[in-house]
Amino acid sequence: MRDFFAGIAFVIAGIVTIITAQQFPTLPSLQYGPSLFPSLIGGGFCLGGAVLALNALWLRKKAVAQEAHGNPSLAGSLPEKKNWAMLLPPISIVFYILASDYLGAMLTIMIIMFLLMLLRKTSPYIALATSLAVSSAIYFIFSRYLLVPLPQGLLLGGSLPWIS
Amino acid sequence: MDILMNGVGLVLNFETLLVILAASLFGIFVGAVPGLTATMAVALLVPLTFYMDTIPAIAAIVTTSAMAIFAGDIPGTYLNIPGTPASAAYVGESYALAKKGRAREALGINLVCSVFGGIFGTIVLIVVAQSLAEVALQFSAFEYFWLAVLGLSCSIFISVGSRTKAFLSLLFGILLSTVGLDMMSGAPRFTFGVPDLMAGINFIPVMIGMFALNELMSYYASKSEKKTISIVDNDSVFHNVPGHIKRYWRNMIRGSSIGTLIGALPGAGADIAAWISYGVGKGRSKESAKYGTGNIEGIMDASSANNSGISGAWVPALVFGIPGDSITAIVIGVLYMKGMNPGPTIFMDGSGLIYALFMVFILANLMMLPIGYMAIRLSKFFILTPSRVLMPIILCFCIVGAFAINNSVVDIWLMLIVGLVAYVLAVNDFPMAPAILGLVLGSVVENNFMSAMLRTGGDLTSFFARPISAGLGIAVILLWCSPLLIKAYRYQQHKSGSVY
Repeated sequence: MRDFFAGIAFVIAGIVTIITAQQFPTLPSLQYGPSLFPSLIGGGFCLGGAVLALNALWLRKKAVAQEAHGNPSLAGSLPEKKNWAMLLPPISIVFYILASDYLGAMLTIMIIMFLLMLLRKTSPYIALATSLAVSSAIYFIFSRYLLVPLPQGLLLGGSLPWIS
Repeated sequence: MDILMNGVGLVLNFETLLVILAASLFGIFVGAVPGLTATMAVALLVPLTFYMDTIPAIAAIVTTSAMAIFAGDIPGTYLNIPGTPASAAYVGESYALAKKGRAREALGINLVCSVFGGIFGTIVLIVVAQSLAEVALQFSAFEYFWLAVLGLSCSIFISVGSRTKAFLSLLFGILLSTVGLDMMSGAPRFTFGVPDLMAGINFIPVMIGMFALNELMSYYASKSEKKTISIVDNDSVFHNVPGHIKRYWRNMIRGSSIGTLIGALPGAGADIAAWISYGVGKGRSKESAKYGTGNIEGIMDASSANNSGISGAWVPALVFGIPGDSITAIVIGVLYMKGMNPGPTIFMDGSGLIYALFMVFILANLMMLPIGYMAIRLSKFFILTPSRVLMPIILCFCIVGAFAINNSVVDIWLMLIVGLVAYVLAVNDFPMAPAILGLVLGSVVENNFMSAMLRTGGDLTSFFARPISAGLGIAVILLWCSPLLIKAYRYQQHKSGSVY
């Protein structure tokens, strides 16, 4: 049934895309305006989403009918257990965005690395040493050599030695 | 001759050679660690290539991808886990050989076939691309429109799994390409008042989100890894290789030819090339019953194919600006970033750039021999590198890399959002290659359509008015109708079969 819901989501996304595209301004001199391609994409979303949802329903119906005839081979698979640990990378990124201005990029990525390593049962000493060394290396390479203005953070007050 | 010497000078300098060496080691490492793919390696490299000259930047990508595709065979041989999807087709053969105590022999064959496939693909690239470029010089907006549509259509029809999902994935990519100011009217589209989006979606954070963040999330969604090696490997790497080449040289040539051809089709990468080549090899082998038990033939066919596919994908990318796979899609983004427009003029600019590029390909593939040999000897070190330590480091590279392009937090948000969407799509079996092709080719389709319409006053029949354009248009229509035609043909066959 996941395909059914994915199909519905695409149909909704298609409708939203078409409605948004209709608000783009058009120029009288242009036969095909800026809304043409987004509208076609929206239409494609609706069409593809509907096919996906209907196909999922049809397969489901077929599976139920097979089950009724004593052949459970095509019946819906057992729901998979969700592993919420997949959200760790996105949460870490949001943490970086929110915290780096205050903590500074180096400290923030060090904290992220250290915690993620610990969560996967890395030895605390290895986690600490690796995250300290790698975060310093990343900060050094990007700030010193590539001249990327990574946030230094209010906490350290611009006191890192290699940043002018 | 001067142009050729310019090209040689662009490659044979300290910076480029150092980049090639570093990229070789990086590619071998990424490929040999299960869970990290060649595309992910290239996506992670892009922020660094931003700070390099054009040739070192391209050299880094070419070398990393070639090395990673070979190195994917290492965990496949020792653990039965392909390091990259391109090794999946023949992992059973390599592992079966390893269980017989012939792990290094299997990897030696993999290595030689990878080098052969890579060089074969490069020779085809050199010969074909130059001739095609002369034809492509006559192309206008009409032909480029159809060519891009053909590329996008191929990405749907070639992708593995549901075509509906591939179609939706493609539309998602095209939708991303429409973000920003409209080319004709200057009207902002889907920018939501964010000034950073006015110039369009930045390609690099999208790449990192789609290929690196998505895979990081998949890693954390999986259970903890426990990697142990029970394979004994005291055999020689190259001792038996000459004998196998003498016996199965046809497989190498066939695998390389199939790989180059499949690689050149948009949407089909090294993984599909390896599967098809393995299948063809099995079908034509006199010893097909031995497949799955550690058959050298299967390895030679598929291992040549995946590396030649990497080179083959560059043919449409360089000549038409149409990427052959996800890696060349990234390369096209890098070329645009460097102010170069991939297309036939790249062959005629007189700077020797194209010769430098060809040289980089040959050099990268030749360097695979010594570095690959070293990697085979150090296999266990690569394989046992704990992912639980590597993955957090990769995540931090993703964050800093996405930020580094424009020094903008918006790009980190973009990476995050695209990564989340890509993850949801991937776990629901939506292929990612059409999305990335959609992102690259979406604007090519729209811009060429709009400029063609402006020229002809909105006359749609003009797309069939020029011979090449009409030919390409008919090819696209036939491709779209092919499922119906195949069904009708099968129905007819079935009907006539039941009559007799």
